[in-house]
Amino acid sequence: MTELVNDVLGADDPNAVSKHLREMMRWHFDPATGSPFWLRKAPGLGFDPLTDIVEIADLRRFPDVSGELRTVPVEDLVPEGSAGNSFDVFESGGTVGAPKRVVDSESRGQNVEWVSEVLTDHGFPSQGHWLHVGPTGPHVVGRTVRHLAQLRGSMCFTLDFDPRWVKRLIGSGRPELAAEYREYLLDQIELVVNSQNIKVLFITPPVLEAVCARPALYDALGASLEGILWAGTSISPESLHQIEETFFPRARVAAIYGNTLMGIAPQRVREAGDSHPAVFRPYFPQSIVELLHPETGEPVEYGERGQVLVHQLSKDMFLPNVLERDTAIRVRPAKGDHIDGLADIGPLTTKDAPAVIEGVY
Amino acid sequence: MAAPHGANAHDSGALPAINPVIGGKDVESRDRSELTALDGTPLVSVGLAPRLLAQAALNRLRGGADAPAPPAELFAAAGELFATAELNGESPEEYRRRVVLATGTPGAAITRAIEGIHTQLGIIERINGAETPAPYETRGYRTVMVPRGRILAAIVPNNHPEPNVTWVRALAMGARVVVRPGSKDPFTPRRLVAALLAAGLDPDTVAFLPGGHDVGEHLLQQADLGLVYGGPDAAARFAHRGDVLVRGPGRSKVLVGPGAETDKELLDDLVQWISEDGGVRCNNISLVLTSGPVAALADALAERLADLPVRPVLDELATLPATSPANGEALAGHLTGLTAGARDHSTHRYGGSVLADPGDGTTVLRPLVVSVDRADHALAGTELGFPFIVVAPWQPSDGTRPLRESLVVSLPGDHAGLAGAVLREPSVRKVVTGRVKPWAGVPETPHDGSLAQFLLEPKGLVTAEFEG
Repeated sequence: MTELVNDVLGADDPNAVSKHLREMMRWHFDPATGSPFWLRKAPGLGFDPLTDIVEIADLRRFPDVSGELRTVPVEDLVPEGSAGNSFDVFESGGTVGAPKRVVDSESRGQNVEWVSEVLTDHGFPSQGHWLHVGPTGPHVVGRTVRHLAQLRGSMCFTLDFDPRWVKRLIGSGRPELAAEYREYLLDQIELVVNSQNIKVLFITPPVLEAVCARPALYDALGASLEGILWAGTSISPESLHQIEETFFPRARVAAIYGNTLMGIAPQRVREAGDSHPAVFRPYFPQSIVELLHPETGEPVEYGERGQVLVHQLSKDMFLPNVLERDTAIRVRPAKGDHIDGLADIGPLTTKDAPAVIEGVY
Repeated sequence: MAAPHGANAHDSGALPAINPVIGGKDVESRDRSELTALDGTPLVSVGLAPRLLAQAALNRLRGGADAPAPPAELFAAAGELFATAELNGESPEEYRRRVVLATGTPGAAITRAIEGIHTQLGIIERINGAETPAPYETRGYRTVMVPRGRILAAIVPNNHPEPNVTWVRALAMGARVVVRPGSKDPFTPRRLVAALLAAGLDPDTVAFLPGGHDVGEHLLQQADLGLVYGGPDAAARFAHRGDVLVRGPGRSKVLVGPGAETDKELLDDLVQWISEDGGVRCNNISLVLTSGPVAALADALAERLADLPVRPVLDELATLPATSPANGEALAGHLTGLTAGARDHSTHRYGGSVLADPGDGTTVLRPLVVSVDRADHALAGTELGFPFIVVAPWQPSDGTRPLRESLVVSLPGDHAGLAGAVLREPSVRKVVTGRVKPWAGVPETPHDGSLAQFLLEPKGLVTAEFEG
């Protein structure tokens, strides 16, 4: 299985995909290796995962169980076959109610190793300190970025960054406090940057914008950075252009898209004729992403926007058929690849009715 | 304006483009939005400035070399170009057409505004000078008025082109200006910037940055000083910011006496003060107070206002504003709820709806007069972007209280004697007692406070050789 997962080109081989599906079904639904969570579910599925799941489309027969991840005891998620391994538990953002929890031993690490290779393709430096301006603690991205830095011979600085607190401030109508929190993050960054030579920065676009608006901090990072890895929110094409050409022309800039449930899809290297500046490529077949029309549930055509449907098929975690609130444009595979890209990630929105504006302005 | 959508960056085809201007040059932003006319026809592709581009513009302005304020002749030349020249391939006629079709402000108002801007830029020294009386000067000792910040962020509105003169005046006082236009009228500030640059303005003293609220917020945060045109929400948000000058709701009022309801000349004047320029000016009257009969006055006004013709807004004879059919429907629904506690004197005259179809794909908004039984009714002070008038009773015992929170208070007859007391009300900006329009004035009389008082501060310059 490991060979298949690391062999990007093997992904176009339907037999290889079927083989991965078969292995995953066997692993997660064999009483000797599966998790209590899935083994309990198996009898009520109405089909036999071992024989009825032969192609990707069949994964949609599974229910979306991600809601249960808010409450299930995490030991029930650990596959029996990996019981001897050490596991970590991570949580989703937790914007609405309790967070969803996932467990991981090695699978996400394989995803991260591949992301590091992609960063090499992007021309990211192979040494020099990293600074992670993002969540740590319960959020998997903290471990991911630290792991990436270590894979690239680097040490990773971190700071205290609590996205749930920021979301609470914004959600309760206290934008001034949220802005103050952002300044507090900049203060923490400044304390690192003042004495340490930071070569690679992981950061979210809004905080990077704030960095650019603080002259002394921007001057220091503009001079030292050789790589910027951004994630967490979308960014407009012109903002990205400004980051790449005006503010950080010396740095390689790449993004990752991902979340607690799907793993990491890094930005692929740009190709001539790309219509989007950042195209993300999932870690297939461990992460399978489909883009669906929100109403019909059918896959959208290339160039069209669809709602993100994720299947996580790793040895540590099986999570089929998770419909995200994100949407993305479906992009043709890069040359030599056979996996669709995702671009222009944005939230699922509904059309607003025209609003009446009082006053003459 | 729709949300930015990068994917459509190059779909705009042959549409003319309006782009951010930084350092005197167009920046072809990858973030674009299509600005459509009220009838749904695409007008221009607008390049948007996200926060980072705005920051780049601020950095550029901050880095510019120090220089004294540009000469008055430059502004006069720019005013001339604005009114007469083809700028960026846009003739004055095309400019008028675009503004009218995007905002719904009637054509004649824009024609007048073009001339108004032309005139004001021609006398900018006189206008600014009126706010900065000759500072003290004696041998060796001088008071010099200088901007108290280098960069002014101006968030300008859509309703009327003339508020843009304010930021041009700030340039003439020596400030550097970043302008964020309204979403429907990027045309006026873009054309002004083009005219100023063509007249020789240092390109590093002005930037033009179309964008959303977030960009406006960012500019107000990062610039030294801010100028904001906005509704009640904006006014409340920035009221406490000493570094932001808020030009809030107009809520302009008139107070008349008994007999107004039959005084044909006064009624004609009131109709003009209410409806000229489509009622979109902040100093158009929106509340009529009377010490005479309320319903009779409301009926008399409604009758006359109902005579205003429904014409396509581009027609130079059009006096009423227009909106898109969808916005019109939304407004009609909103009005039903809004006026539930008031008496409607107008709608029955139109067969049941203030919305009218002039036949050009837009919806014209006909005047709506409602009356209420108290001066402190919740509707009093409501200002909408078309002739919407509340008539309410006033008694001498009410005093000046119902006249507060006004850009202009007009006292055209019986109650002119209140002028002094009304002027002393801190929330009243101007008082008019004669039979002149609420926006009448000479350059020396303030319309809404003093820009100079906000933007400039006095500093001492001592060149004396020894202490006297």
